[in-house]
Amino acid sequence: MKKITGIHALSMGLAISLAAGVAIPARAAPDKLTVVVTDEPKSLDPCDTDLSGNSRILHNNITEALVNLSPKDGSVVPSLATSWRQVDSLTWEFKLRQGVTFHDGKAFDANAVIAALKRAQDPALACEVGLATLKGLKLNAEAVNPTTLLIRTDVVEPILPNKLSALDIGSPATPGDTKTRNPAGTGPYKLVAWTPGQSVGLVAYEGYWGDKPAIPNATIIWRAESAVRAAMVDTGEAQIAYEIAPQDGTTGQDHAFPNAETSLLRIDAQIAPLNDKRVREALNLAIDRDGLIGTIFHKDAQKAMQVVPPSVFGFNPDIPVWTYDPEKAKSLLAAAKADGVPVDKEIIIYGRIGIYPNSSESLEAIQAMLADAGFNARLEMLETSPWLKRLLKPWNKDRPPSILQTQIDNAEGDAVFTLPNRFTTDGNQSTITDAGLDKLITDGSKATGDERKKLFQQAFRYIAVDAVNIAPLFHMVTIARVAKNVNYTPDVQAGNEIKLKSISYR
Amino acid sequence: MSFTYFLKRAAFAALALAALMTSAFFLVRLTGDPVNLYLPVDASEAARDAMRIRLGLDRSLMAQFFDWAWDILSLDFGMSLWHNRPAMDVVLEALPNTLALGAIALALAFTAAIVMGSIAAVNAGGWIDRGVNVLSQAAASVPDFWLGLMGVLLFAVTFRILPTSGFGGPIYWVLPVACLFARPFGTLVQIVRGSMIEALNATFVRTARAKGARDGRVTFVHALRNALLPAVTVTGDLAAQFAGGGGVVEVVFGFPGIGKLLIDGILKRDFAIVQASIFAVAVVIFVINILVDMLYASIDPRVRIE
Repeated sequence: MKKITGIHALSMGLAISLAAGVAIPARAAPDKLTVVVTDEPKSLDPCDTDLSGNSRILHNNITEALVNLSPKDGSVVPSLATSWRQVDSLTWEFKLRQGVTFHDGKAFDANAVIAALKRAQDPALACEVGLATLKGLKLNAEAVNPTTLLIRTDVVEPILPNKLSALDIGSPATPGDTKTRNPAGTGPYKLVAWTPGQSVGLVAYEGYWGDKPAIPNATIIWRAESAVRAAMVDTGEAQIAYEIAPQDGTTGQDHAFPNAETSLLRIDAQIAPLNDKRVREALNLAIDRDGLIGTIFHKDAQKAMQVVPPSVFGFNPDIPVWTYDPEKAKSLLAAAKADGVPVDKEIIIYGRIGIYPNSSESLEAIQAMLADAGFNARLEMLETSPWLKRLLKPWNKDRPPSILQTQIDNAEGDAVFTLPNRFTTDGNQSTITDAGLDKLITDGSKATGDERKKLFQQAFRYIAVDAVNIAPLFHMVTIARVAKNVNYTPDVQAGNEIKLKSISYR
Repeated sequence: MSFTYFLKRAAFAALALAALMTSAFFLVRLTGDPVNLYLPVDASEAARDAMRIRLGLDRSLMAQFFDWAWDILSLDFGMSLWHNRPAMDVVLEALPNTLALGAIALALAFTAAIVMGSIAAVNAGGWIDRGVNVLSQAAASVPDFWLGLMGVLLFAVTFRILPTSGFGGPIYWVLPVACLFARPFGTLVQIVRGSMIEALNATFVRTARAKGARDGRVTFVHALRNALLPAVTVTGDLAAQFAGGGGVVEVVFGFPGIGKLLIDGILKRDFAIVQASIFAVAVVIFVINILVDMLYASIDPRVRIE
């Protein structure tokens, strides 16, 4: 009997709460902003900003780097460094901003940068930035004075400032032997609380060196379902929601923006029948890209001719986009078959569940298109871990012929962040072994200016036209839903960076 | 319930737990190496090897197992790779939320099912019975995922009387509880109805009526008490399922419970979280089973726990 009484009491409590409607804000208070994303951050350590889930909370909100990349043209612009110059081929000088303090009261100076660089390169910490952006590049920094810093590299690195745009500087009090969950940076917001499983709370930093944020309190929350994220903006529970699926993002409040990602199919050109160029060309000709746009992919996605978007330094605008020509695909397959190529062999299409919205549907459509052209293709959708096993070397020599659904991000703005690992003989994801291409990419990585651009453009052309070990699909867009009373237009960096400082209420 | 009975059950539970944890150790490792998931795709093979060494994944599986077993004996479940915190701390934050969510949903479902099932049984074959039957069949078969999104659309977006999702005061619990309520309610109504019809036709009910007992007393005291046993059995099973978390519901509503934690742990190959979650849920299920046994004895005097 006691239990039933308890249940009645609880039911009454819920009913009273409902009747009062106390907990549902119709509209957010003008000093508060709630942003809903897909996942909880993995880490809020300043050295883990390479992962977009971390960087969109940290980068330029809590922590800042020496320089930023302009969303307009990818050029390097000042942030914590006011100017920089290359002293010699291995040495760079950075002049640091004066009067900057960290959220914990420590002063920002050359020694703070040295500590952050050491931390990012410490193999024991396995920082994302050290592993993904610096990738073994050794940086030795020396303080000339508190506001002048010399950074020496072990190899020629013409785009060091670009790389440093991803390396956020945390307080020198950040622990050196472990990752922190309480970052202290120099950014416009400081961390209030990270409630595991629920939210990250931020408040404007009074001592910020730049323009003060318009909205003093910000909360980042996460919901896995696109429909729920979209609904939260409609109800006023959130003001901005990211990564809305195309089928949910059809209102006037939904903004599609290029997200620096390019979707493609990587062709394993080392295994028959895909080791025959005619088969790889047939595969590209069999895909009706126009039919996929505006249906499975967002209408604003751009047909891709290479694996980086036009905003990236080294993009080649002269590579023709594949046209849909199933008849030509059939004739190429027939010619290959006549020469003894086993074109009837089953090809596995490896997909990754959720790599982008409608990822499974896109491959189902492509599988049907390939079948129409005469391919024997089977679809296998994988979760991330087994998919990574297919993406990364080492591979079994006796593996079946396959094509792999992938998506390449290049928010850093230079082709060097895309090419070496994916298209050189030693690259950990490369299915190409070609000395000529290796040389183009290696030489391009060391060159500067027009020479660098020319070499990278040649590399992209070689990959798309000569090697044909990819089937480029689209330069992708992400949809963000923004409340009507909020001033915010997402840009190309919005996938990795929520610029809270620039958001205001109308 | 005797202390000896409890000790026997505890000993069996400890054996089962040891077998379960051993299976969990090997099964989660069969799902693949977590290193690729935790390092950027561009990380070098040397960096991957370094991480394998740091996590002890370079050693033989048996060496890893014995170290792990030793740690488990001292209740050290290791650090979560994803959360970078002790795994059991993360699990113990999520578990109470799931238990509260499941307990509320199940208590409401049990109570409502007894009332609706009894009413249907008393009116067996009539329009009320048919109505309850349709309602319970629908509730038992509706997918949680669909119900959750429809709830958001209707009560949050259209009527604006509930929040879409999240975690906080009682109002945040209404939609998750309603979603979790549906299936057990539908199942239990069917069970209560069936066992009540059987009980109402039993000789002891006829005897009670012959002795002049009122309808209400016959139905809700004599018949219902006998009809409750199968419902309690099924509720115990449902409670054990709920202890593992209302996975889909927790994901849809962003509810920080053990179901969502476990799903994420498996997808992210966070071995420590998976193992700590399984351990905690197994202990809860053991306690639920003991409680169900005790409830049996209190409902049915013929049952003696020895």
